[in-house]
Amino acid sequence: MKRILAQCSKELAQFRRDRLTLALAFILPVMTLFIFGFAIRLEAKNITLIVQDFDHSNLSQSYVERLYATNQFLPVQWSGTDPIRDGIERGLAKAAVIISPEFSRDVKAGKTSVVQVLIDGTDVNNARVIKNSIQAFTNVFIQDQNLLQSSSKILPRIRLWFNPGRQESLYIVPGVFGVILAIYPSLLAALAMSREKEQGTILQIYASSVSAAELLLGKGLAYFIVAIGQTLFVLGLGCTIWQLGFVGDPTPLLIGSVVFLAANIMFGLLIGVRASNRSVAVQGVATVGFLLSLLLSGFIYPLSNIPFPLSLITNLVPARYYIELTRDAFVRGTGWSGVWSAPLLLALLAFLLFNIARKIIRRMQLSG
Amino acid sequence: MSQSATTHSQNPIHSQNPIHPSSRSGSKISLIPHPSNDVLHVHDLHKHYGRVAAVRGIDFTVQRGEIFGLIGPDGAGKTTTFHILGGVLEATAGEVQVLGQPARDARLKIGYLTQQFSLYLDLSLDENLRYVAGLREVDAQIFQERRRKYLQLMSLDRFSDRLAGQLSGGMKQKLALCCALVSQPELLLLDEPTTGVDPVSRREFWDVLAALASEGVTVVVATPYLDEAERCDRVALMYDGQIQEIGTPAELKRNLGLHRLEVHTSDLASAERILTSAPSAHLIDTQTFGDRLDVLVSDPQAGKTQVKQLFAQHNLDLSALESAEPTLENVFVTRLRQQGSAPEFFEFPRARGGQRRANDQIAIYANKLDRRFGDFQAVKNVNIEIRYGEIFGLLGANGAGKTTTIKMLCGLLPASAGDISLGGERGNLRTSELRRRIGYMSQKFTLYDDLTILQNLEFYSGVYGVPRKLRREKIDWVIATCGLEGQENMLTGQLPGGWKQRVAFGASVMHEPDILFLDEPTSGVDPLARRQFWRLINDFARNGTAILVTTHYLEEAEQCNRMSFMVAGETVLEGSPSQIKAAQPGQLVEVIVTASERHEPNPTQAASNVLKQQMESWRVSIFADRLHVAIEDPAEIDAVRSRLQAAHLTISSIRPIPYSLEDAFISVVQRAQVKP
Repeated sequence: MKRILAQCSKELAQFRRDRLTLALAFILPVMTLFIFGFAIRLEAKNITLIVQDFDHSNLSQSYVERLYATNQFLPVQWSGTDPIRDGIERGLAKAAVIISPEFSRDVKAGKTSVVQVLIDGTDVNNARVIKNSIQAFTNVFIQDQNLLQSSSKILPRIRLWFNPGRQESLYIVPGVFGVILAIYPSLLAALAMSREKEQGTILQIYASSVSAAELLLGKGLAYFIVAIGQTLFVLGLGCTIWQLGFVGDPTPLLIGSVVFLAANIMFGLLIGVRASNRSVAVQGVATVGFLLSLLLSGFIYPLSNIPFPLSLITNLVPARYYIELTRDAFVRGTGWSGVWSAPLLLALLAFLLFNIARKIIRRMQLSG
Repeated sequence: MSQSATTHSQNPIHSQNPIHPSSRSGSKISLIPHPSNDVLHVHDLHKHYGRVAAVRGIDFTVQRGEIFGLIGPDGAGKTTTFHILGGVLEATAGEVQVLGQPARDARLKIGYLTQQFSLYLDLSLDENLRYVAGLREVDAQIFQERRRKYLQLMSLDRFSDRLAGQLSGGMKQKLALCCALVSQPELLLLDEPTTGVDPVSRREFWDVLAALASEGVTVVVATPYLDEAERCDRVALMYDGQIQEIGTPAELKRNLGLHRLEVHTSDLASAERILTSAPSAHLIDTQTFGDRLDVLVSDPQAGKTQVKQLFAQHNLDLSALESAEPTLENVFVTRLRQQGSAPEFFEFPRARGGQRRANDQIAIYANKLDRRFGDFQAVKNVNIEIRYGEIFGLLGANGAGKTTTIKMLCGLLPASAGDISLGGERGNLRTSELRRRIGYMSQKFTLYDDLTILQNLEFYSGVYGVPRKLRREKIDWVIATCGLEGQENMLTGQLPGGWKQRVAFGASVMHEPDILFLDEPTSGVDPLARRQFWRLINDFARNGTAILVTTHYLEEAEQCNRMSFMVAGETVLEGSPSQIKAAQPGQLVEVIVTASERHEPNPTQAASNVLKQQMESWRVSIFADRLHVAIEDPAEIDAVRSRLQAAHLTISSIRPIPYSLEDAFISVVQRAQVKP
C-alpha cells in the first residue's frame, strides 16, 4: 500500500509540473465538449428544397407555403426547367417538389392527386429524414384541409416522454460526456506509463521490488484522482451551458462514473504497457479508444443498428455503459431499476483490463 | 520485504554488518562473521538476444566492501551484465547469486544506477528521493536521516528544491547515487556513472564511492575512464561477452609483463609515427597519452636506449624519458590490440581535395556573446576566434555553458547579445549554403533509433547534400571506420552508446564540412575508439577544417591547438595547452604512497583522506595510483610529507611535477568557483 501511495504521489507531482499534460487534461476536454456539444445535430434542419409548381392554384400555393413554414426546409433560388439537372445535380437543393398542373383540379374532383418528390439519396440518412418529413407534412396538410374521404380506423396519438420538446442537446450532451471521459483520462494514463519506458526510468521500477499490480494501481490511483477532477469539471460545465440537471436518482451516475473512470484508466495503462514510446501510446488511445467510444458506444449510432460480429465489440466499450447512465441521469431519470447492470459491467471491464495489463508486465523485466 | 530497511535503523549505512566506529577507516572487512563474504556470485552467465550472444559465459565473485570494476570496449556486454545483475533482465543460462539469493529476489538489497539517467527530471531532488524511498518502503523517519546524510555527502543539500532536470550532469549522477542509497543497498551496481561528467565531479563521485565501500557497501562499476578503474579493488577486463582477465589493478599491470617509458617531446605526432613503425623487439606498443607518449617495452634499459637512438636518428628533441609502471590504460589498449579489436583507420574519401582555404582566415568568430534564459545568464561575454585547420577545445564543468555557446555559434540558438560570424557569413547563419559547409555532432545522439544504420547515413548524406554519386563511397567509409561491416541493417537503437557516437560522428562529416562542431564526441566511447576519433579529427584539421570540440577527457584535449576554459558562462582562461599549464599558480606535487605495516588496502585513498582534512578538497586529487597535490608554496611539501607520515603512510615518492591539463582544469574551475 505504501508503495502504491509513493507511486501515486510521484505521478501527481509530475502531472502538476508538466504544463502540457495539464492542458491535455483540462483544455482539450473543454474544446471537445464545445465542438461536439454545439456542432453535432442529428435533426435535419435547413434542407434546401426547390418547388416546381405547374398548378399555380391557391391550394398548391398554400401547400408550398406551409411546407416552408415547417422551418425544416429552405427555399432556394434556381433557374431552369429541369429540377434534377438544374437543381439537385448542381447541388443547389437536396430535394425537389413538383406539383402537377392537375393538382387542385384532381383534389377538388375527389381524385387522388400526385405530388412528385425527388430526393438526393447520396446521404442515405438525410434522404430518409426528408422523405419522412414530407410524408408527414402531407398527411397533416390533408387532415387540415379536410380532404380525407373517410376517417381512419386507427389513429395514433403520439406523446414524447422524457424529452417532450425534442430538445436535441438533451440527447447529444450526455453522450459527449461519455466520449470525453472515455478518451482523456485514458490518454493521460497511457502517456504516464509509456513515458517511463521511453525515458528508461522504468528500469528503476523494475530494479525495485514493486509488483506489476502495485505499479498499475499506483499510477492508476493518481490518474483516477485527476480524472475525478476532469469529470466534475466537464459535467459541471456541460450542465451549466446546456442547462441539464439530474432528473432522477443521481446515485447510479455517481457510482457508475467511478467505475467508468477506473475502466478507462486501466485501458490507458494497458495501451501504455504495450507502447514503447509516447507517440505510439497517443496513437493507440486515439485510434482504438476514440473510434470505439465514438462509433460503437451508441453515442450517435444506435447500438441496435450495429450488425452481428461487430455488435459483440460494443459490449467491451466502457463508454457504451456510461452513456446509458448519463442519458438516464439527465434525461430519463428511471434510476437503479433501469440501469442497474451498467455499473456492474463497467466494474467487470475495469477488472478485466487491469488483469490484462498486469499479465503483460507481470515479470517486471526487460524483454529480450 | 522491508526488513532490511526498518529493523536496522541504528547504523546509518551498513546496518546488517555493524562496523565498529574505530575501524571505519581501517579495515573494510566486517568484524561480524557473515556466513559468506561473497556478496555477488556469478557463474557461467549467458545472454542471447535472438541469435546474437551478448554475454558468453562469465564467472566472478565480489566480496563485501569491494569496489569491483568492469572495463571493456563498447559492446562488450557490460550493460547486459548489469541488467541481469540488477534483476531486470533474465539470463539465458547461468546463475547470479546476490547475498545467497537469485538477483531478482534480492532487488531490495541492490541499488542500481542505469546508464541512462534514472531520475525523473521534472521532479525536484526531494521528490525523487521520496519516491524511491516510498517504492522501497523506507520508514519516514529513517528516510529523513538518510536523506540528510547522503545529500550532505554529495554536497547537494543546498539544492533540495531544485528540479532534477536543472542540475548539471555531475550533480544528476550524484543525485541518482543518492536515490540508489536511500534504501541502504548492500550492493551498488553502477553502469558508467561518470560518463559525461566533468573531471572535478568525477573525482568527488569516486571519493563518495570510496567512503561508501569503506563502510561495507559492495560496488560493481563499469567505466570508460581507466584512471577511475585504477581506484577499484579488482578489475575485470571484458570483451566480446567474455571476461578476459580479472585481478587487482596491480596484478593486471604485472601480468602484462611490460614496462612503460614516459616520453616527453615537442613533436608528439612524428615521434609516435616513428616509434610505431620502428621494427624493434623491445618496443611493444606506443600510445599517445595527453602531452606524452607511453612506450611499452619488454626491458626498460634496452627500451630507453632504443628510444634515444630513434630520436637521434630523426632529429627529434627528447625533453624527458622516464621509466614507470604501466597504467591500466596501457593494459587495456595493449590487450585489445593483441585481440585485434582496435578500430582501423581508413582514409576519408575526399572529393574536394585538401587545403581548401588559407589557414589564416577566421572560420568561427564570436565577440561579446551573451545568452540569457530568463533570469539565468548561461553565457557571458564570450569571445572566440577559430581559424581553418585549427582544433579549438571548449572546456568546462557540466553546466558551464559550452553547449549553449556551440548552439549559438552554429545558429541553432539566437544570441541575446554579441556578434557572430561563421565561415565569413554574418547575420543569417541558417542559409542552406552555409549549413552545407557546417558539420554538427550534438551531445545527445542525433541518429534516429528506429532507422537502420544505413538508412540513417543515407538520410544524413541526403540532408547535407552529398552528391549522389559520392554517397556510396562515403557511407562505406563511415561503416568501415565504425567497424560495422555486415551490420548496416541493424537498427541504430540496438547499438551500444559508444558505437552510436562513432556513427553519429561519421554522419556529421560525410559532406566534408569546412567547419565542424563536436559536442562531447567521445563521451562514453572506449579508450581505443577515442584514439581513432582523434586521429580522424586531426586528419580533418590537417585538411583545412576548423574544428570546435568539447570534451571531458582532458588528456585528449592536449591535442587541441588552442582552448578556452569556461566557468559559469564566462571564459576564464584561453591559450594553447602549454600556455594554460604554464599559467597555473603554485606548485603541483605528485605523491606515491605504498601500504605500510598497517596493511592499508588502499593507501592512496587513505592518503587523500588524510590530506583533505587540512586542505581544500580540490587541492588533492587521485590520479590512478598516485596523488596530485596543488600547493601554493613549494615549502608546503614538507608539511604534506609530515602529515602523511603522521598517519603511518609510507611515502615512496614525493616530487614536484609540471601541471597536466587535467590538474589545470581542476585548479582553474575550483579557484574560479571559490571566488564570489
